[in-house]
Amino acid sequence: MAVTARPLPHAAGRAEEHEDPREHLMHDPRPRGEMNAMVLESMHTTTWRYWLATGTLFFLVLTCFVYAWYYLIANGLGVAGVNRPVYWGIFLANTVFWIGISHAGTFISAILRVLKVESRRPFTRAAELMTTFGLVQAGASIFMHMGRIWLAYWLFPFPNERALWPDFHSPLMWDFLAINTYVLCSTMYLFLPLIPDIAMVRDHAKGWPKVFYRLLSLGFRGTEGEWKNLHTAMNIFAFAIIPVMFSVHTIVSWDFAMATRPGWSSSVFGPYFVIGALHSGMAAVAIVLFLVRSTMKNMKYFIRPEHFNAIGKLMLMVSMAWAYFYMNDYLVPWYGGDKWEKILQEFTEKGPLWWLWYTMLILNIVVPWAILWRKKWRSTPWLLASVGVLINIGMWIERYVIIPESLTINRMPFTWQIYIPRVEVFLTIGTVSLFLLLYMLASRIIPLVPVWEVQEGQIAHTLRRVGKADLPTLSEIE
Amino acid sequence: MSEHVSLLALFEDIGPASDGIDKLRALGVTDDQMNVISGIPFPGRVLGRPGARTNVPQIALVGAALGALLGLFLVYGVAYLYPLQVGGQPLYPVPMGFIATFEMTMLGLMAFAFLGLFVDSGFPSYTPKEYVPEISNGKIAVLFACDQNDEKRFADALIKLGAESVARAEARQL
Repeated sequence: MAVTARPLPHAAGRAEEHEDPREHLMHDPRPRGEMNAMVLESMHTTTWRYWLATGTLFFLVLTCFVYAWYYLIANGLGVAGVNRPVYWGIFLANTVFWIGISHAGTFISAILRVLKVESRRPFTRAAELMTTFGLVQAGASIFMHMGRIWLAYWLFPFPNERALWPDFHSPLMWDFLAINTYVLCSTMYLFLPLIPDIAMVRDHAKGWPKVFYRLLSLGFRGTEGEWKNLHTAMNIFAFAIIPVMFSVHTIVSWDFAMATRPGWSSSVFGPYFVIGALHSGMAAVAIVLFLVRSTMKNMKYFIRPEHFNAIGKLMLMVSMAWAYFYMNDYLVPWYGGDKWEKILQEFTEKGPLWWLWYTMLILNIVVPWAILWRKKWRSTPWLLASVGVLINIGMWIERYVIIPESLTINRMPFTWQIYIPRVEVFLTIGTVSLFLLLYMLASRIIPLVPVWEVQEGQIAHTLRRVGKADLPTLSEIE
Repeated sequence: MSEHVSLLALFEDIGPASDGIDKLRALGVTDDQMNVISGIPFPGRVLGRPGARTNVPQIALVGAALGALLGLFLVYGVAYLYPLQVGGQPLYPVPMGFIATFEMTMLGLMAFAFLGLFVDSGFPSYTPKEYVPEISNGKIAVLFACDQNDEKRFADALIKLGAESVARAEARQL
């Protein structure tokens, strides 16, 4: 029997898409001196819009963070909405939310570095900064929740005046260890690849900034030994910080899952929290990159639609994984038929806060699935950033549903009471403002683009003629 | 009696720089007597140089071991010193030991990798060093020692291979 091959059908009138490889940063190299100048110009250029935004954020931090926290400390936790049965309110929702945001930095930087994903190069630092500044907000939120912050040292493992050491049987102590490990390690991880770029800024600085950058660059010149040590240390960090990242949010989830109460006692909470963290974190990276690209000079050269496309794909993948884990977390209690779990699920879906649950599902699943499947839409910076904002609202609601809303329903119906936040609302605005303010200030102090990593990537990338096309080729240079 | 001097040859690109290194070797400069300073890391094989040694992994491993010991102390040492019975759990629970030990091990590993970079690279160091700021703009410097009587011969050879400049290396405040 003769074999016939039918030609593939071509869509009428639709030309095959040819992408010019030079549209990609790695195939559009510029001299190092020029790239340095571009990054330095972006650091030194401050328009009236920058000062207006910084001033507004500073005002919000003073009022909603500093004053509101002072008010909380001076008057006690009674000015917050937390009360029986909802002892854990927005402060804890914020803590989980900000730790989630901080996961993206490690994910983008460490995992993509280990897997040698080249599109990571220009925006690893922007993501790592999110980790550090996000953890600052998470830490502040815990202390806010603590109320009597002057007793915070009781968490530290040394004998206090009562000779009572912290109890390492408690998930809260595991959390203390994990978050502190993550804060310290991610800050060191942020600093390591920054050293050569600070040395570059030092070489171009004059006056007192030169003294500042000289101190910060530690005497780095770029000798073979220094590069070898730096590269080795960065590799160790990239591999080691990934399991720490997974452990942190797993341990955060155990703060809830170790309690035998409806809505919390779940064996899938660990991975569900980790994927939730990545969901909000990836979305936050999209927002930050959009802001950096559209507000800072020369950033359109470094951060291109290809990078938004790459992040958009990750966001879509993570959104699907989140939906899967959410179903896991939902299905098992539903199937089990426990009376209190059933009441809580009905309260979540049909109670007075039903709209929160539906909004969460729409923003976390429907919106990304509807928009991110298409490359053209993924690659549109403002659209991806908008999806990022919506996902973050959805993920914040998810934490709200898990923490204060779940606490509303317990095994003692006479205590049921809906939580109404009070000073927490201002403090939430305060933490968001502080995060943005720190980012705005950092953008003028340190290079947000790791220039040496971009140049390293551009040297490793070449175009090779295959048939009639110039195909991107990557050499192993690292 | 002739003296040794340090020369710094500046190259625009990596190709001429690695040719220059070969030439220096042919002229009798050993690998120990030269160093390459660049704005991005080049592996030894790219430069035709023996790979640089690092002690960072060993230092990091020591940190990991110390961290593990600290983690074990926190869980079991604290329970031994200050026994506190909780919820019918054993005083020395194995599963909980994993958590603190893991976190402290990783913290020790990374903190010592960070410190290892400082120790092995001699950071921080603010004394004057042989350096030119053009390096951070992409130039590649080859720093080497030679007999002062041979200075011109070395410089001419490197200029011929594409060096932009060859001059006595001056220690300067970075």
